Amino acid sequence: MPDFGADIAAYGARINAIAPAERHVANMVSAINFDIRGLDTLGEEFMLLAAITGTVVLLRGSRGEAITDRAARLPGRPVLPRAEVVVLACRIAGPITALFGLYVVLHATVTPGGGFQGGVILASATLLIYLGEGYSGWRDSVRSRWLDAMEGGGALLFVLCGLAPMLVGGAFMENVLPLGTFRDLFSGGLMLVENLGVAAAVTGGFTQLFLEFMEETREPDQSDDPKGEDA
Amino acid sequence: MSWLPYAVAAWLFGIGLFGISTSRNYIHLIGCLSVCQSATYVLLLGIGYRWDAIAPIFYDHPPGTPAVDPVMQALVLTDIVVGATLTALLLVLTLQVYKRSGTLDPERLRPMRKNAGGGRVGAQQEPGAEAQL
Amino acid sequence: MPDWFSLGWIPSAVLPPLPVALPLAMCAALLATAHLLPGRWPDILASLTALAVAALCGLIAVRAADAPLVYWFGGWTPRAGMALGIGFSVDAASGWVAAFIGTLYAASFVFAWGFFEETHGHFQILMLLFLAAMVGFVFTRDLFNLFVWFEVMSVAAFALTAYHLDESALAGALNFTVTNSLAGFLMLGGIGLIYARAGTLDFEELARAVAHAGRDPVTAGAFCLIATALMIKAAVVPFQFWLADAHAVAPSPVSVIFSGAMVSLGLFGLAKLTAVVFTGSDQVRGAVSLFMIGAGSATALVGGLMAVLQRHLKRLLAFSTISHAGIMLLGIGALSQGGTGGLLLYLVGHGLVKGALFMVAGILLATRAGIDEIALRGLGRGIGPAGIAMALGGLLLCGLPLGLLDQGTRVLQGALLDGGHPFAVAATVVGAGLTGAAVLRAAGRIFLGLGQDPGDEAQAPSEAEREKANRPLWLMLAPCLILLVLNIATPEAGVARLATKAAPAFMHQGGSLGAGPSWLPWLSLTLALVLAAYALGRHRLPRWLSRPIRVTQSGPTRLLEQVHSGLIGDYVTWITVGSAILAGLLAAS
Repeated sequence: MPDFGADIAAYGARINAIAPAERHVANMVSAINFDIRGLDTLGEEFMLLAAITGTVVLLRGSRGEAITDRAARLPGRPVLPRAEVVVLACRIAGPITALFGLYVVLHATVTPGGGFQGGVILASATLLIYLGEGYSGWRDSVRSRWLDAMEGGGALLFVLCGLAPMLVGGAFMENVLPLGTFRDLFSGGLMLVENLGVAAAVTGGFTQLFLEFMEETREPDQSDDPKGEDA
Repeated sequence: MSWLPYAVAAWLFGIGLFGISTSRNYIHLIGCLSVCQSATYVLLLGIGYRWDAIAPIFYDHPPGTPAVDPVMQALVLTDIVVGATLTALLLVLTLQVYKRSGTLDPERLRPMRKNAGGGRVGAQQEPGAEAQL
Repeated sequence: MPDWFSLGWIPSAVLPPLPVALPLAMCAALLATAHLLPGRWPDILASLTALAVAALCGLIAVRAADAPLVYWFGGWTPRAGMALGIGFSVDAASGWVAAFIGTLYAASFVFAWGFFEETHGHFQILMLLFLAAMVGFVFTRDLFNLFVWFEVMSVAAFALTAYHLDESALAGALNFTVTNSLAGFLMLGGIGLIYARAGTLDFEELARAVAHAGRDPVTAGAFCLIATALMIKAAVVPFQFWLADAHAVAPSPVSVIFSGAMVSLGLFGLAKLTAVVFTGSDQVRGAVSLFMIGAGSATALVGGLMAVLQRHLKRLLAFSTISHAGIMLLGIGALSQGGTGGLLLYLVGHGLVKGALFMVAGILLATRAGIDEIALRGLGRGIGPAGIAMALGGLLLCGLPLGLLDQGTRVLQGALLDGGHPFAVAATVVGAGLTGAAVLRAAGRIFLGLGQDPGDEAQAPSEAEREKANRPLWLMLAPCLILLVLNIATPEAGVARLATKAAPAFMHQGGSLGAGPSWLPWLSLTLALVLAAYALGRHRLPRWLSRPIRVTQSGPTRLLEQVHSGLIGDYVTWITVGSAILAGLLAAS
């Protein structure tokens, strides 16, 4: 094995050397994920989509495919009133978390972050609605079909970002958009669009995941669910 | 001590494997699987590391500053997504198993071996098949 | 032929990414709009997509006949001899394998028509993802990209396995998920090691680095980890345990894909890596020769024996797949042009036949509401064509000299004989004979009502199972028969011509394909017929003859069944043992 910490591989060194100049981005990891090795990320995105679709199939299978947009209510389970402090905290923290998620998404090409990380933060922001407004409030504001559309639409946007450059004679996922200026929010060209697609897909997907697991805790025949939590 | 990160990775993988082999609870088993996966994080990041180098983000430092290997970091990012997807799927399977059989013990959950060792299915249905002849 | 029809207007340079991008785009669109699409639309769209993928891959294969099509994603062509981005490199063999996969999916979609109607297209989404991942896996020339597609395949497969949601399906899916996740981690570890040594992920550059490194523990370790991962996928002894659990419980249209394509793709990947990346390391080649020949023979025999011992039809077919995977592994172990060429032909032929057989199992599940061979005895009367398909499939499995599978078998056996592995040839004959016997016995029992005295198979695990009977028989039979016809009717001379060019392009080195003696397949066919006849007519034999046979075979067979314990902990232990053996061989060679 190479000595730990002695030097890095030629491949990585080469990317560090050329990517800032050629793609005008400061974050090398994003440059690799969305441009140089963008196909890996496409696969990764669809791996996530497969897992979430699989989760939905396997969880819904047992309680029927008919999804309702209303919260199921368990007959015997008491509705505990929420402390006002909790509601207030969630109402303050929710938008801030969402804002932070957006920030992480948008600054993918300049600072650490990107669609995956930001998408997960955005999805957890929706969980704060659950904490603050209760289950039925959460279900009222989060609709399964919208999530499907968001997840599928985001993934579709990513694939189209790959296919569109081929229409103008480029290679699959070739960065044909203007690259912007180095260290600017709008740098990286096509990477920004791909990044948005990933963010939408991850937000939709993870929220869908939360929704399905949460719905699982509401199943009427389930009195001693050992682990309904998931986050 | 240049071998230490690699040794840690090997040890993590080994102990995770040991945990999976001896586990009597699926939740514990999924945890052990995550331990195995952490071994790959340690290995990849260890390979990509370089002393006195910055993270591969040239925002505060000009391009050209020695940085660690961004490829390995990107691979680990993918690896993390793999881990998240696997854990979600495994937890769903475990949840469903528990609902159907009321146990999380792999010893009691052998596929199709619930009533192994007898001629049950055939023995019960054989007369019916015979009558059809 | 008019120029338009020969598709000359499509430039070859744009083709390689399309068979991956098309199903991905389709499944994203399906997910986004699933709730708006009426009834059969997901079925129709999915079948058409699979057909389009098959056609595109066929076109790519034709275009790649002379030189592989190389494609660099994002326009990142190599600079100064260093690959920067991810490349696809499609040689003719890879193209044809992908075209076969597309065809198999199209057949499976037609077979499953309406079967998953209440899932809002989720089944189709998972299957299309599975398809895209397989094509990507076959085309890529980047080691990490290979891993990504490997994982996408796994994740889609895990969810599809558990679809029935009964206890066995869930337990089988858990075993499958845990073992194959471990395979993924091992592979990633291997990728890390070889990256540390070579500083690149591109196959060609890795090959140069491996050849340059010579005898090197890091390269050998990387090979050990990656090969173990792929052999777990390919269900090679001692990594095979998950397969029977998973294939037996998966819905039948999914099992068609699992046995027909997924398992053999593990071998395809292993063959590609062995031939392209690790070919320059004598240490790896030595260990490969020893381990693959040994493990392949063991797999062929164990799988065959286990298949004979089963009564649950899908489980029986699953073990038969293990046996055939072992035979294909021998092709890698032969380390020659003929071995790899035979493996590729065998892969396609076996996929077609095994796919058809799983469809017969699905027909029984739907029309006779059962999958247990003994319980179904005589109940197959009335669906004669399915019986004929099953018998034909069984005969083809054990070497009926017709079509692609037989051609692959002969090339493979020829290569093994040339390489001086007579024992391995014997293993292919016996393994194929045993699995053929198992299928023929089941066909005779179910469709002719023979074999009223069950032997050891009565002790095997089984479970009542059924699938929805909402499809007309002809709709299920048609894809099944098409697959068999495709196997039989493929012109032998054309395939031989293709293979002599394609195999060297796949392996990046010259050589020739020879065929083994033509009496060998007859030997396994005879063996299969004798064994099946014995199993079906056992009760007519005099007791002094049948009793000793039964007593002597019972002990070892019980032991084998007990080793397949269904316990995930045991499976993981076996994986450790197997990879330790491979590591030992690598260290010693």
